[in-house]
Amino acid sequence: MNFLLNKLRVIKAVALVTYKEWSAYRTHAMVSIFVGPVYFIVQYFIWTAVYSGNTTLNGMELSQMLSYFGVSTLIGYLTMDFADWNLQMLVRTGRFLTFALRPIHHRFFALSQKIGHRVLGLFFEFLPCLFIFTFLFKINMRPAYSAWAIISIFLAFLMNLYLNYTIGMTAFWLVQANGVRRVYLLLQGIFSGALIPLVFFPKVLQRLLLFLPFQYVTYVPIMVYIGKYNLAGITMSIPEIVGMQAIAVLTIALFSELVYRMSMKRFTGVGA
Amino acid sequence: MLKKYIRIYIECIKISIAAALSYRLNFLLDSFITLVSNILFPLVTLLIYGSGAEFPGWSLYEVLLIQSIFTMATGISRILFDGVLWATMGHIIDGSLEIILIKPVDCLFYLIASTVDFSGSGLVVGGAVMFAIALSQLGQVTIWMVLQFIVLFLSGIFVMMGISLIMAATAFKWVGNSRIPEIFESIKYFGRYPQDIFHKSISTFTSFIIPVAMIGFFPAAALLGKVNHLAYIALIPCIVFTWGGVYLFKHMVHLYEGVGG
Repeated sequence: MNFLLNKLRVIKAVALVTYKEWSAYRTHAMVSIFVGPVYFIVQYFIWTAVYSGNTTLNGMELSQMLSYFGVSTLIGYLTMDFADWNLQMLVRTGRFLTFALRPIHHRFFALSQKIGHRVLGLFFEFLPCLFIFTFLFKINMRPAYSAWAIISIFLAFLMNLYLNYTIGMTAFWLVQANGVRRVYLLLQGIFSGALIPLVFFPKVLQRLLLFLPFQYVTYVPIMVYIGKYNLAGITMSIPEIVGMQAIAVLTIALFSELVYRMSMKRFTGVGA
Repeated sequence: MLKKYIRIYIECIKISIAAALSYRLNFLLDSFITLVSNILFPLVTLLIYGSGAEFPGWSLYEVLLIQSIFTMATGISRILFDGVLWATMGHIIDGSLEIILIKPVDCLFYLIASTVDFSGSGLVVGGAVMFAIALSQLGQVTIWMVLQFIVLFLSGIFVMMGISLIMAATAFKWVGNSRIPEIFESIKYFGRYPQDIFHKSISTFTSFIIPVAMIGFFPAAALLGKVNHLAYIALIPCIVFTWGGVYLFKHMVHLYEGVGG
């Protein structure tokens, strides 16, 4: 019990400091209030034109497609992460040493930072855009199953952190991990479902995507939010896909821990 | 005077090439990733047409033509002007803009020349390949169409230059905001698609206020024989927009107050 309370105290302290630190740059976050709706307007006209001769495309109606892009934007604000950039910078500059000496796992510290950072995103990006999408664009942004949607978004939040952190750890071997980061971000951009629903990809690729972690970052939480999941012709109930997502997060977390332990054996630092 | 500026520009290009050659692998990787991340939009178009849907009145290759021209223009802009924002922002944050201001050359020219970056060449090549593929699938192109295309394409490049300079000018007031490009990228996003899919008020905005339609749509329309008088009227806002970018940047330099670098 004490262990848990101590962890919660650490999360609260780090998250609060991160929130205050980034609050100084809140107008940077507020750029999203312009950018998010503008991108959405483009998507609105693209898909309205594309659906002009069709009622459904790959099993999705126009209203679902618009909700898809609205929810995709909003979930992006809640799960956004740059732990990879942060970690590779700490390793490259040698500043990781100061974290390695602390009595706290650096990934846990990164998680606490992310919580503070995304709470800011919740207030300055998520809520204003939710308001715009709902009341200005009249898009249905109500989750089909609120509780499952919250769980799925939280799992996506963790998944994004674990994946990015693992990519960031390549800096322990490569020092300059920018190339790997950019390739990974590119793959995630294409295969997470942020660009277009994954059901639009060829069937072979959809089957492959079932075994990759990308869909759990964006596509799965969006479909859980909308209330139906389908990929590669496989339909799952919401509890089933959220269960799958939880297993995937656990697997990546274990893999991340394994890589972390290997990294610690490799890491050498001089001076603090 | 002009000779001096041309000589400086050539020297800057040589330095940029030398820098790219020093870090060859990084340069190639950078060019490749930039190219791949910019061809995501054609990928969406391919997936839409692959699912049996379409943009009404536009074939797959016509839309790809718009997007290939947009990609080439983005590449050229990346090489020639895009570095101005980051260089300006960096100098303002460091307080080192004074060093540029005391040089015996125009500040804007120096910033443009010294930030030539060939990592955008992958985009130009990739866009050109896509352009050739799309064009080969479309009808006959006459010399008149090509001439129209060249004029409109160059105007699109000038719009990109105007956007880069407005972004750089914004950096004087909104110090250190790395999200400034996102604002303009989101507006440029309209220029990647056929303009008749948008509401009239939006296509008016993208043709005459911030003329991003000139980057891809109007030049493509010229090659497809779909260009109308609106494209020529839109040339005027393109000139005004570019001039506005130059004026705004120079005005912000004029207002700039350094504290000694």
